[in-house]
Amino acid sequence: MNIRSGYFRKHLHVNLTDGEIERLDLSETFLEKYIGGRGFGAKLVWDNLRMHDFKIDPLGPENLLVIAPGPLTGVYLPSSGKCSFISISPATGMYGDSSAGGAFGVELRQSGIDVLSIKGRAPELSILFIDNDSTEIIPMPELKGKSCLETEGIIFEKLGTYAMHIAAIGVGGENQVLFACVNTDWSRNAGRTGIGAIMGSKNLKAIAVRGHKDLPVYDVNGLVAEADRAYEYLSKHKYFELWQQQGLMNVIEYANEHGILPTYNFRDTVFVRHDRINGEEMLDRYKIGDSACFACSMTCGNICLVKNGKYTGTVTEGPEYESCAMLGSNLGVDNFAAVLAANRLCDELGIDTISTGNIIGAVIEGYEQGILSLADIDNEEIAWGDEDAILNLIRKIAFREGVGDILSQGSLRIIERWPEMEKIILHVKGLEQSAYDSRAGISMALGYATSDIGAHHTRAWTIAKEMEEGQNWTDEEKVEIVIYHQTLRPLFDMLGVCRLPWIELGLNERHYENFYRYVTGRETSLEELLERSKDIYDLTRLINTRMGVNRKDDTLPYKVYARPVLTGPNAGKVIDKDEFQKLLSLYYKRRGWDENGIPPREIEAKFDD
Amino acid sequence: MSRKLTVIPEQCSGCKICELVCSIRQFGVNNPKKAAIRVIVVYPHPVLRMPIVCSQCKRSTCEEVCPVGALRRDNGVVQLDKDVCISCFKCIEACPFGAIYAHEDCEFPIKCDMCGGDPECVKKCPKGALRLIPEAALGEVRRLNNVLSYTQMKEIEFYEKGEKKVIQYAEIGKEEL
Ligand code: SF4
Ligand code: SF4
Ligand code: SF4
Repeated sequence: MNIRSGYFRKHLHVNLTDGEIERLDLSETFLEKYIGGRGFGAKLVWDNLRMHDFKIDPLGPENLLVIAPGPLTGVYLPSSGKCSFISISPATGMYGDSSAGGAFGVELRQSGIDVLSIKGRAPELSILFIDNDSTEIIPMPELKGKSCLETEGIIFEKLGTYAMHIAAIGVGGENQVLFACVNTDWSRNAGRTGIGAIMGSKNLKAIAVRGHKDLPVYDVNGLVAEADRAYEYLSKHKYFELWQQQGLMNVIEYANEHGILPTYNFRDTVFVRHDRINGEEMLDRYKIGDSACFACSMTCGNICLVKNGKYTGTVTEGPEYESCAMLGSNLGVDNFAAVLAANRLCDELGIDTISTGNIIGAVIEGYEQGILSLADIDNEEIAWGDEDAILNLIRKIAFREGVGDILSQGSLRIIERWPEMEKIILHVKGLEQSAYDSRAGISMALGYATSDIGAHHTRAWTIAKEMEEGQNWTDEEKVEIVIYHQTLRPLFDMLGVCRLPWIELGLNERHYENFYRYVTGRETSLEELLERSKDIYDLTRLINTRMGVNRKDDTLPYKVYARPVLTGPNAGKVIDKDEFQKLLSLYYKRRGWDENGIPPREIEAKFDD
Repeated sequence: MSRKLTVIPEQCSGCKICELVCSIRQFGVNNPKKAAIRVIVVYPHPVLRMPIVCSQCKRSTCEEVCPVGALRRDNGVVQLDKDVCISCFKCIEACPFGAIYAHEDCEFPIKCDMCGGDPECVKKCPKGALRLIPEAALGEVRRLNNVLSYTQMKEIEFYEKGEKKVIQYAEIGKEEL
């Protein structure tokens, strides 16, 4: 059955080197097979890699950056504001993607394109301005050194309108910090895998978009009825109000209680002073408003203001759980105002809070243990909870000053420089680990190890199930649940919607087959959509294996095997190496990959077109 | 009509569901740019989200400037008569709130018509930021909040080890940062 609506069927390709701008048609097969978002991205990145014989410098002009919302982005259904940024990650040298909420992706679609890809390198710092059917590359060297926020303001002024959405990089991106992020709508960030550095390497400071087109929807009435049912379900959920109030900040308490909250660089999983940085504390003293991504009723964003003390006047849209844990408990910081200040600084400079918190945690521990000498860290003492030193280090990373220069190059280069840091820093394949300890549950560990972008939680966040339902599962079940998450979660990225209504409030995933049907007019089932998503996982794995990844890389940070959790409900836990290897073999088998984790030729053939 | 479509910006999250449902109701399409209500988000300080929608003013500027009398009050709602409107867009320029909109696909100005008395945006706003409030009750919430904030500002003085200190009621029970 055909795709009758849901897409503009247009691909906008920009080459910044020669200023060439093309509008290409997307074929029916492409839309059906790859759906949107990271599906489109993975395919375009794959084609680009093939064109360059798999020899690509992530920060070279030949690397392709793909920005792709999905067919559901921007339409009337819960949390439809997501947009993916896809490329070859400079941090890991393999497939990388990150998605952002807000409404940038919605505006991009409304300009009449389904996917934007960018190659080359502009001769001077420039922005890309997409105004409905016209696209321009505008040099704006005056944006150099500006924060993402200032950048938005200057662009509004220059272009004479505020009615647009902007994705911008900060100093971190300009300086090609390998974990630089892209800020959309001020603080809805595509944070991970260093997409900001790629924009920086292309001399692309920002993408400003204005779109006014109707989003193509096949059956509006059907969609509205289905969406109303979904919104209704959410609003009646017993935790709905908690979500509106605290957003992801409620996870701090949860994670602390279940012993998975990163504390003192993942040395521990329980933070004694958790009540100083949790959602209650935020509500009590800091929160001044709600903020939501497009079409979202859950409003997970919290606008916070520091009203007194040293950080008075700090405003952030956030923090959310990850940022608060990585910049809070993980660094031993028990002052919520300081967490806000650090979060705001990261947003302004445009660097990822998860990687930043992780690396600073490693520096503190490394220094404490004597792996890093005082001279190594520019003769500036640093210790757990030392707010000033932490803020200073964040700045130094973005500006690449002193030790910040090496830190800005991420885990792999830090370990190259100080091999002993391998035991301290938590990363998989060069991506610093998210804020869930995996020693508590082996499925979570398997999820990190086999994630296609590195140690990131959004691919398989199985830890909640492990915590709540116990872990007396068979090996098959453990592998199955990881693969199910790795299949369903990416589907949300492909459709261009947020996964939180499903994972957090249990919105039935069946809704999405109906949403897809009403929007595209194509009859389908969830199972079929999941097949497409599974294919994309194979494709991103192929990209990685062609870039040199194999079984030896599907591993876990040293601490996860070797350093038992100190206190709390998971005290004493580590992951057993042999058990993990056994699970990994089973995982490959279920995926249809060989013992070395390489997908066979018949899988690769699927993407030859 | 004695009930007013009222905006409580402090409650608004900027989700734009109101824009979406308005465009679907007015034109049958998913296009927030075709809504008669718009949520303006201004960064960064203070972070503000302000839904802008027609107030159905009793002395409506838009009605006054319309050269052909296409805007007329009907049962408390300023209605646009498309048969009469000449699309000069004077009304858009004249509205003191910028609450009438233009879109290049649309021949006529886009203006809130209160959905016949039961506005979609009010029904679908997940935050209760849009309300239908009896005219006589307008401003009540503000008044109450102002009074409450005044009580919170009250301070007490006390002596500790011979030293004079001042604390605010609202701070009692919370240690200093
Ligand atoms: S359009 Fe403007 S001037 Fe006219 S009634 Fe509405 S708010 Fe008043
Ligand atoms: S656009 Fe129509 S309604 Fe508005 S002022 Fe002109 S004629 Fe009157
Ligand atoms: S629906 Fe309500 S909360 Fe959402 S943008 Fe509109 S007024 Fe604000």
